Amino acid sequence: MTEEPYRWLEAVANRRDYVREQLKGGSPVFAASLPDGILLLGVGSGQSKVFEIFDRHAMAGLGHPADIEKIRQAALDAAHMEAFTRAPEDVSLRRLVSFGLSGQLKTNFEQIFSAPFLIELLLAELGIDPSKDLFFRLHFDGSFQTHFGGAYVCASQMDTESAAQKWLTETIKGKTDRKQVAQIFLEVWWMLMHGKSFTTSTPNESERESGWRADLNEKSVEIGWLDRKTSRLIRYESLTAEQLGL
Amino acid sequence: MNNANLIAGDFLSLLATQKVSALKTEVSASAPVQTQATTVFAFHFSEGILMAGDRRATAGNVIVTDRVEKIMDIDASSLLAIAGTPATAFEMARVLQTSFEYYRRSQLQPLSLPAKVRALARLLRDNLPMTMQGVGIVVPLFAGVDHTVSPAKPQIYFYDPLGAQFQAVGHAASGSGSQTIRSVMSFQEHYGNPKPSEMNLADAIRFASRLLITASEFDSATGGVNPASEIYATIKVLRSTGVETISDAQQKEFLQKL
Repeated sequence: MTEEPYRWLEAVANRRDYVREQLKGGSPVFAASLPDGILLLGVGSGQSKVFEIFDRHAMAGLGHPADIEKIRQAALDAAHMEAFTRAPEDVSLRRLVSFGLSGQLKTNFEQIFSAPFLIELLLAELGIDPSKDLFFRLHFDGSFQTHFGGAYVCASQMDTESAAQKWLTETIKGKTDRKQVAQIFLEVWWMLMHGKSFTTSTPNESERESGWRADLNEKSVEIGWLDRKTSRLIRYESLTAEQLGL
Repeated sequence: MNNANLIAGDFLSLLATQKVSALKTEVSASAPVQTQATTVFAFHFSEGILMAGDRRATAGNVIVTDRVEKIMDIDASSLLAIAGTPATAFEMARVLQTSFEYYRRSQLQPLSLPAKVRALARLLRDNLPMTMQGVGIVVPLFAGVDHTVSPAKPQIYFYDPLGAQFQAVGHAASGSGSQTIRSVMSFQEHYGNPKPSEMNLADAIRFASRLLITASEFDSATGGVNPASEIYATIKVLRSTGVETISDAQQKEFLQKL
């Protein structure tokens, strides 16, 4: 097949469709840069969506748990090797993604006889102030977008993600409280999971809140917090919904 | 993206697959004079464990510096006191720091206290060629929190240079000045009022400072505590809830009340 370029292109296109189909229904994850730190949130089954990577780095993702685990381990190995051979301060998300994870994901995606990674990821690096907070939206094929500051959603389908992202950016403007931001994340999560529109006939606030509260009865909220104010080297802290007062 | 040879959560096996050596064992026949000599100690007090050390490093009869930190946080619930050759000891501390955090992050649970204690023993054994040649010898103390008992309890461990580990009941000391203060600590534990294990934080800090002052009177390689030169000990407290560093300013305040 590889000696026939058109069939190879077709195979890659089919692969892309296959991954998108498999990811449908995946529970979206979120991250936001706030004055005191970076908040990451996902709804899963406990330690399945939001993870600590290194002192100032965290990851949230959706997809197949085994694939998320492989990428998480690759990121952990690379970060700790870098910190040990150089210094913890040299671990950077830009290098981790662009010279490590992205290349490995692209190679895997284009090897059409092996199983593709079923993942969509959001990675965060805490800066000295919110404008220096770095986010990477990393896709299953290794492509990625870079952002500084702001709030981001990572969903399974690109069209709904971009509508949700626009709504999230507008709604979150001026909000700096962790609890408030977490509530908005959960509203977006509920709207995405139930296929609600972000442009027309958007559910009102009370409908959104009662919606996510009802859905959370059978699930758990996973929250990661990268603390900008602490004097500890390790900035990551895992929080419970109760700690945020949700 | 997975390495088949990697033992889950073991940072040393990751180093091996990357061909990075944690501790070098090659020794030159013309090895320079090492920096060494120390007094470090740890004892139980009413709130947990206090671990302290002087800040002097010597090479032969030369004082290299009086600003060395010999008590180190390894993670949120472990402390290491180093005695011996700093070059090797600092590298051991760095290996342990990275290993413990790597395990916690990758396995999504902290390493148990017995595994932490053995990890240090393994490094000491890896350093055996250097130890046997009299170069790079390290005799550390380790303190960690045992979470298998309720309530969680901090424990002290001491080692021999070959890596044997022993749990200390009340106190432990290492370094060239340790013989002096072991007697004092033993005396205080038997006949003191209060005994170290009954001391509150203020009493424990005063006792630790006095121990170092005493050690420095009998051991030229121990820096002691010298408020006139703004040289204080490194003092850290390990409670079941975590580590606290007693700052120079806090020590100064306590010493003024002596």
